[in-house]
Amino acid sequence: MEDDSGHLNSLARACLVSLQAEAPVRVPRRRQFKLQLPCPAIGNDENRASQRNLKLARTTAYHPSLTKQSAKMEVLLGITGKDFTIIAASKAAMRGATILKASDDKTRSLNKHTLMAFSGEAGDTVQFAEYTQANAQLYSMRNGTDLSPSALANFVRGELATSLRSRKPYNVNLLLGGVDPITHKPSLYWLDYLASLAKVPYAAHGYAQYYCLSILDKHHHPDITLHQGIKLLNLCTDELKRRLPIDFKGMTVKAVTKDGIIDIEFDDDKVVKMA
Amino acid sequence: MDALVARYSRPAYQQNELFSEEEQQDLCETQPPLSLKFAMPPVAHPSSWLRAATDDRANPSCPIKIAHGTTTLAFRFQGGIVVATDSRATAGNWIASQTVKKVIEINSDLLGTMAGGAADCQYWLAWLGMQCRLHELRHKRRISVAAASKILANLVYQYKGMGLSMGTMCAGVTKEEGPALYYIDSDGTRLAGNLFCVGSGQTFAYGVLDAEYRYDLTVEEALELGSRSILAATHRDAYSGGFINLYHVKESGWEKHGFNDTNPIFWRTKLEKGEFSNVTSDFNEDDSTRV
Amino acid sequence: MARRYDSRTTIFSPEGRLYQVEYALEAISHAGTAIGILAKDGIVLAAERKVTSKLLEQDTSAEKLYILNDNMICAVAGMTADANILINYARQAAQRYLLTYNEDIPCEQLVRRLCDLKQGYTQHGGLRPFGVSFIYAGWDPQRQFQLYLSNPSGNYGGWKATSAGANNASAQSLLKQDYKEDCTLKEACAMAVKVLSKTMDSTKLSPEKIEFATVGQTKDGKIYHRLWSADEITALLKEHDLAKDDNTEDK
Repeated sequence: MEDDSGHLNSLARACLVSLQAEAPVRVPRRRQFKLQLPCPAIGNDENRASQRNLKLARTTAYHPSLTKQSAKMEVLLGITGKDFTIIAASKAAMRGATILKASDDKTRSLNKHTLMAFSGEAGDTVQFAEYTQANAQLYSMRNGTDLSPSALANFVRGELATSLRSRKPYNVNLLLGGVDPITHKPSLYWLDYLASLAKVPYAAHGYAQYYCLSILDKHHHPDITLHQGIKLLNLCTDELKRRLPIDFKGMTVKAVTKDGIIDIEFDDDKVVKMA
Repeated sequence: MDALVARYSRPAYQQNELFSEEEQQDLCETQPPLSLKFAMPPVAHPSSWLRAATDDRANPSCPIKIAHGTTTLAFRFQGGIVVATDSRATAGNWIASQTVKKVIEINSDLLGTMAGGAADCQYWLAWLGMQCRLHELRHKRRISVAAASKILANLVYQYKGMGLSMGTMCAGVTKEEGPALYYIDSDGTRLAGNLFCVGSGQTFAYGVLDAEYRYDLTVEEALELGSRSILAATHRDAYSGGFINLYHVKESGWEKHGFNDTNPIFWRTKLEKGEFSNVTSDFNEDDSTRV
Repeated sequence: MARRYDSRTTIFSPEGRLYQVEYALEAISHAGTAIGILAKDGIVLAAERKVTSKLLEQDTSAEKLYILNDNMICAVAGMTADANILINYARQAAQRYLLTYNEDIPCEQLVRRLCDLKQGYTQHGGLRPFGVSFIYAGWDPQRQFQLYLSNPSGNYGGWKATSAGANNASAQSLLKQDYKEDCTLKEACAMAVKVLSKTMDSTKLSPEKIEFATVGQTKDGKIYHRLWSADEITALLKEHDLAKDDNTEDK
C-alpha cells in the first residue's frame, strides 16, 4: 500500500476510503457491547462522533439534480446535415453573477472525427471531457483505429452511468457529434448528466432547448448542406440573443466532416432587434 | 367599518347570494371600487392558505390542482392582429380538456386570450367583457383597447399576492388606436407590444414566430405563421395541445379562422414539408444508438 | 540437459527455447485438422472430428467449431477442454465490448485478447500453457472478412488460407497450391472439402467426421455465420464426389 516514499498511493487511499465507508454497519454493534463496560463514556462518545460524521456525510451527499440555473444558461447546439455535424457552444464562462471569460471553448475533440461539447457544473465539465478524450485516444493508440462516434457515445454514456451511482457524480451535459470514419455518415448524440443517450438529427441543452428546438423542428432537413446548417444555426442564435436574459458572448462553432474537425467563422457581433 | 359589519351580520354562506342594492351598484361600477366581494375560506390568512393548498411545484401532492399550462400568442402586423391559441387544459398531469376556448370574444372587435388559471381567466375576462359593455352604454362609444386592458390590469393588481394566476393578451382595432395589443399578467404587468407569446409553451412559439416575423407579413403568411407557432408549442410542450384556435383582428372587427385539430396538421406538416425530422415512423430503426 | 528446463513454462532453455510451449504445439499436431479459407464474399471453416468410438453419440454438439460473437466464429485444434475455457473467455470479452461500445468487437481485437491470455501462461504463473490453436473467421466494418490463426505461444497472424492440427504441413501446401485470389465462398467450400479429404486418413468423408461453417453476407448486406447441418455437409460431399458410399458404410 505504501510506495517508496512512504506515501499512500491513490489506489490504497481509495481502498481506505471504501473501508471507512463500510464502517456504519459495524459501529452500532460495537457500541452496544461497549455500553456493558464499566467505563463506556470515551469509547461511546468516540463512536457517536464517528457515527455523526458519517450521518453528516450521508445527508450532505452531493445530489446531481441540484443543477445550477447558470448551467442552464449555457448554450449547446448541434445540427447534422448531409455530410457534416455542427457543434456550437456559447463562449461565456460564468460563475454566479460574473462572466469570467468571454472566449471559452466548451468543446474537446475526442479523435479526428468526433467532437464533444459540454455544459454543467464548473470543474466537472472539463475534467470529464478530458477524461473521455484521454480514453478515446488511448483506444486509438492501442488498437490503431479510432472509435466511431456511436461507440464513443455509448462509452461516454456508460461512464456517466457509473459516475451517477458513485459518491460524487459528474454533473455534465453533453453533445457528441461526428462523422463515421468508415461510412462517412454524420451523427449527433445528446447525453445528459443522468446518463440518457439519444441519437438525434439536431439537439440543444439548457434553456436553449426551449427556444431552438421549435425552430429546428420547423427548419431542419436531414439533407442540408453545411452552408444551410450555419444559416440554421444563425436562426437559433438570433432567437437566443433576442430572448435569453443574459449575454452568452457568442458561439464557438465547429463542424465535423469526413476530412476532420474544422473551426467555423461565426459572426458574434450581429445585433438582433426585437420584433 | 360598514364592510366589517356587513361581513359579520349575515351567515357566511349567504354572503355572496344576497347582494344589497348598494353592493349590486358597486359590482357594476368599475372604478372606484374595482374589487368584488368573494366568499373567503374560514381561515386566518386565505391567500397563504390557498398558496399552501395549490402550489403544486413545491408540493406535488397538494389537494387542489389548478388548471393551467397553455400556449397563446398574438402579434401585430400590417394587416391587423393575429391571435392564436391551443386548446388544452391540464391539472397536474391530468389533461382536463382538449377543447377549451382560450380566446374570449369581448366584443365584436376586442379579443382576450387565456393563460394561467382557467377559472381566473374565464371569470375575469367575462367580467372585463361586462365592464367594456357598461363603458359603451355609459359613454356611448366603444372602449379603447388601452382602457380595457388597464381595467383588467388594475383589477388583478388589487388582488396581487392573493393567488390569482393569469397571463392574458388584449387585442383589438379601434378608430383611435389602430391595431393595438396589450399583455397583462397577474403580477400586475401591463405592456403594449407587437408580439407576445404566453404560457408554458411560450418559448417554443417564440422560437418559430421570431424567426419569421415581419411587420409587413401578408394576411395568409401571418395566419400560417401563427398557426405554425402554436403547432411547434403543442409538439414540444406537454401542457399544450388539442386544437389550434385562430383569429384575425382587423379594422372591421375580428374574424375567426377555424378551430382545427393539431394531430392531422402535425402529420401534414411533417409528411408534406419534411419538417419535424426528429420524429420517425421508421420501425426498422430498432436501436437508434447503434450505427 | 533438457530435463532441467522443460518442466517449467517460464524458463528459457540454454538454446533460447520454451519447451512447454513447444510441447503444447506438438500436442496440437495430433489433433484433428482444421482449415480456414478466406473468399472474397465470405469465409469457410472446416474441421476433422476424430471419431474415437462407434458408441460415442455423434450429433449432440459441435466439437471443433464454435460461435464467439455475432461477427465471429472459430475452429479449434487441440485440447477441447482448454478450448472451452478460452472460448468462454472470448465470448465474455466480446460481450463486455458490446456492452461498453454498443458495437461488435473488431475481429483482431478479440483475437488479441485471447492471445494476451495465452501469452500470460508462457511467462508467469507456473502453469501449463493452453494446448489449443484457433482459426478465427470474422467480419468487421473496418477490415471486412478476416481469417486469423493463433497458437499456444500467444502468437497470431492474419491469413488468406490456413490450417492447424494433424497433417497441417501438407494441408498448408495443398492450400498454397490451390488457393486463388478472389475466389468465391462456393469455390472456397469446394477447396476446403478437397484439402480435408486429402489430409484425413480416409479418402471418403461423412458428416460424422467433419464439421463445416461459413461466414458470409446476405443479399441485403447483413453478415451471417452458420454451422452446417449433416444434410448440408452430405450434399456438399456428394457434389464433389467425396461422400462415403452407402454400401461401404458397414466395413
